[in-house]
Amino acid sequence: MSLKIIESCVNCFACEPVCPSKAIYEATPHFLIDPKKCTECVGDFDVPQCASICPIEGAILDALNVPINPPGSLTGIPPEKMAEAMAELQAH
Amino acid sequence: MELPVLNEKPKGGCSASSCGSSDDQLNHLSDEIRAKVQNHPCYSEDAHHYFARMHVAVAPACNIQCHYCNRKYDCANESRPGVVSELLTPNQAVKKTMAVAANIPQMTVLGIAGPGDPLANPERTFETFRRLSEEAPDIKLCVSTNGLALPDAVEELSKHNIDHVTITINCVDPKVGAKIYPWIFWKNKRIKGEKAAKILIEQQQKGLEMLVAKGILVKVNSVMIPGINDKHLAEVSKIVKAKGAFLHNVMPLIAEAEHGTFYGVMGQRGPDASELQALQDECSGDMNMMRHCRQCRADAVGMLGEDRGDEFTLDKIEDMEIDYQAAMEKRKVIHQAIEAEMNSKRAAKIEVKAEKLGTCPALMAVATSGQGVINVHFGHAKEFLIYEASPEGVRFISHRKVDQYCEGDTSCGDGESVLQRTIRTLEGCEAVLCSKIGYEPWEMLENAGITPNGEHAMEEIEAAVMLVYNEMAKSGKLDEVKQRATA
Repeated sequence: MSLKIIESCVNCFACEPVCPSKAIYEATPHFLIDPKKCTECVGDFDVPQCASICPIEGAILDALNVPINPPGSLTGIPPEKMAEAMAELQAH
Repeated sequence: MELPVLNEKPKGGCSASSCGSSDDQLNHLSDEIRAKVQNHPCYSEDAHHYFARMHVAVAPACNIQCHYCNRKYDCANESRPGVVSELLTPNQAVKKTMAVAANIPQMTVLGIAGPGDPLANPERTFETFRRLSEEAPDIKLCVSTNGLALPDAVEELSKHNIDHVTITINCVDPKVGAKIYPWIFWKNKRIKGEKAAKILIEQQQKGLEMLVAKGILVKVNSVMIPGINDKHLAEVSKIVKAKGAFLHNVMPLIAEAEHGTFYGVMGQRGPDASELQALQDECSGDMNMMRHCRQCRADAVGMLGEDRGDEFTLDKIEDMEIDYQAAMEKRKVIHQAIEAEMNSKRAAKIEVKAEKLGTCPALMAVATSGQGVINVHFGHAKEFLIYEASPEGVRFISHRKVDQYCEGDTSCGDGESVLQRTIRTLEGCEAVLCSKIGYEPWEMLENAGITPNGEHAMEEIEAAVMLVYNEMAKSGKLDEVKQRATA
């Protein structure tokens, strides 16, 4: 039972101090979660702390490899709108 | 400590608009506050021509999300808050600050502004402040924050050499706030919507009150977002000043789709120059201390509007041996010389009398690299200072950057020429004063209805602007302004 930080992490440090299990550590190219220490905050908090402060959609996965913060859930930008804007920029 | 309310008319003396001189912008402040701000490049229009500032990026984490920020962004071509190239540890930040202070003795102010929220990184931020207070006591320290963690930090802030705190307050109404802040991290939960905005607003206001009670100067920044909070900011201004903020700085929203921010992608526009000026006038009353704000990057180094960060990257400062005691001696001598120069300039200021001409106010652009004189060639200007001249006198309004933000490889170099873009930057101005100007831009400016003027090279800005305004008024050029304005 462990959460996972993936490559979209921007190394903002926000998750590291809020982890009650000290499972998160600075690493290259991005922060990582020690699966042996991670408890998903069960027993400490109602919600996993790292995923509750992380500003990057998709950067933290649950034990089933599903993003806890899916696209659009944090920025409020509808994913199709984001895709449209990016396509527009690429076309130029 | 009693802090004055901004919109109160100063007792005795004169206000900036009636005297027509931006030096007077500090007149309404108490002696104590004036002493604190007069050599601060961010607060004194006068000082920003002489003194430099730097930011160190030690604070990456943030506890809220704003719709004008994208936490993924890091672009060396960008110049805007929240963006940095190199994150520093407190130890590296101290080293960099001392290296810059020794090499740019005009640097008097060190700020921590991000790229996240400094108070959401209390250990890194306070370790940097604690060491600098001890090791470089001649540097003023500043911090800016979104305010969420501020009440808990006030006690610690008051222990260091910090006399200025900037709080970004974009609203006092949770309904408005919900359109600006999608979420906050609060008491171990991510909270969204109006509930989140309400908590943030309460924390900001409480923090403001606590800082004022401690005698720490508070500046409030607001981002003007048309259609979201533009109508609301006058109320914000009234409230924060009544609570003791000594300054309210209204900044324009920066939003482009390529920044990937909510506002950028959703097509939210920023204010145009005239909308911004109208709101700044409404919020600042007689004060225009922050009109020269350049919305620096969170790791900017140098004079306002310039960035010398490249000279002080980690690998470069690694090799620098700094004897700070010796540097401090040198800095003291240089600061005294600058102050003497500023004082003699103030004393020798050429008073050009405003004449009763009955003409409309006009905006005049000036190309300058500092020292209060017109000293930049039109074609070399990276930005213009905008002054408003009228029969009442001259006042500083704002700066406008040329080529404000990099638009990426694809749009650079083709389409609109740099010259055309420069001229578009000057929209709404009646004249542009520079040290020299070529034939081609001269003609293009005239065609655009802007009078070019290269006759006042190395002259004091406000005196020259007044002279040009009076000339234009007398030759009938400004009557056209009146007709256009009423048409």
